[in-house]
Amino acid sequence: MQEAIPYRTYLHAAAAGSSTSPARGGGIRAEPDNNENSSVEKMVLENAVVVFGRRGCCMSHVVKTLLLGHGVNPAVFEVEEADEANVVGDLLRIKGLKGEINDGSIQFPAVFVGGKLFGGLDQVMATHISGELVPILKDAGALWL
Amino acid sequence: MELHPIISSKGMNSPSTQFVTPSRLAIYEPIHQLGTWGENFKSNGNPNTSTPMIVEVDTKLDTQSEDTSQGTFPLSNKYEQEASKPVDKIQRRLAQNREAARKSRLRKKAYVQQLESSRLKLVQLEQELERARQQGLYIGSGVEGSQMGFSGPVNSGIAAFEMEYGHWVEEQNKQTCELRCALQAHISDIELHILVEGGMSHYFELFRMKSIAAKADVFYVMSGMWKTAAERFFFWIGGFRPSELLKVLVPHLDTLTDSQYMEVSNLRQSCQQAEDALSQGMEKLQSTLAETVAAGQLVEGGYIPRIPTAMEKLEALVVFVNQVRIRIIAQSSMALVWILRKYS
Repeated sequence: MQEAIPYRTYLHAAAAGSSTSPARGGGIRAEPDNNENSSVEKMVLENAVVVFGRRGCCMSHVVKTLLLGHGVNPAVFEVEEADEANVVGDLLRIKGLKGEINDGSIQFPAVFVGGKLFGGLDQVMATHISGELVPILKDAGALWL
Repeated sequence: MELHPIISSKGMNSPSTQFVTPSRLAIYEPIHQLGTWGENFKSNGNPNTSTPMIVEVDTKLDTQSEDTSQGTFPLSNKYEQEASKPVDKIQRRLAQNREAARKSRLRKKAYVQQLESSRLKLVQLEQELERARQQGLYIGSGVEGSQMGFSGPVNSGIAAFEMEYGHWVEEQNKQTCELRCALQAHISDIELHILVEGGMSHYFELFRMKSIAAKADVFYVMSGMWKTAAERFFFWIGGFRPSELLKVLVPHLDTLTDSQYMEVSNLRQSCQQAEDALSQGMEKLQSTLAETVAAGQLVEGGYIPRIPTAMEKLEALVVFVNQVRIRIIAQSSMALVWILRKYS
């Protein structure tokens, strides 16, 4: 049974744990290149919001549209089917998981906010509905208002 | 013309002998015709067709052998003396007629066979239907006032859903009555909470059912065929629009404090945004699905094959949207309780 989550004004909390300096959210559309390791990591570190999704996936489209609706211009990394395993491995490493075995935590679309894994579509949707998404985005420097 | 009696009385020989008989007749034209018929016979490997062929040959020979036995050849003389062309034409026409007749007899036979097998199939289907009915499965016809009583193969998952939905509606009506009575009786807050929670979990049950049905037949769930036409008009991805639910609630919220009202309004706005994003995702999925079908992936029988990835995505989307509905209802439960309090 779900608890009713009241929509309350989010009080700005002191930024903690996020060591990366918030960068402007750029609409970079990246394709994996030969040196995939760096490009994936680079994107996560250099952008406040990054969306990793399969090319042409409708769920990725939903996430992107939702973020755009908030005024965020997320960086998008379109994952090719062939490269999926590699990208997942990279993301797991970023997440801090040793061994690169996907315990199910990385599912596409995967959203990174402020250099850390935020979650998938359900996380984004849940925080959006509860009203917590906007403050989180502001904290990460993806939103200016 | 019925020539079979002739065959039996004559004691039919093998076909080959018929074509050896020209020597008996010593007539040029019939031999030529025999040759033509012989070619037809050879090219036609079908034993069924040979019988009428042979019969006709036999008839022809009979006519002429009778003439021969009379000792005169009035007809044959006619053949020899007159120009062969018009006779040729007549003979050819007759031959063509016979061919056409034979072909139409074959077509008729094939058609009758087809009818027979269809009839058998129909009987089998009716038996199956009867059996299923007896087992208590509800076979939904789907469309209100449909002219067809039976709209396609039975999907057991969908049949189960329709039955469960019937029960769900009954339970829903019961709960609504209970709530009305309870409100008139001025129940306590705790009791009201319990009733509301019960109602909500009942709704969650419905979304769960729909998500399971989506995996059985996603297009069925998307079309809302178990609902009335009016309900289907407001359909959005397998159910109601969450923002619509909140729009209905808002007019009743005048007794709320400003901050409470703000919360509900913000929730409604969030729903709207979420719905827009999901609608766009749905449109994208629809176009992807259409493209895949248009790429010409038809199998024999003309069925559109199951396009696994796209359909799985659609199922996933429907399941996800149902989860969103649950979340939104849970979140609006506080507004619900306030409204109900107002009417108690």
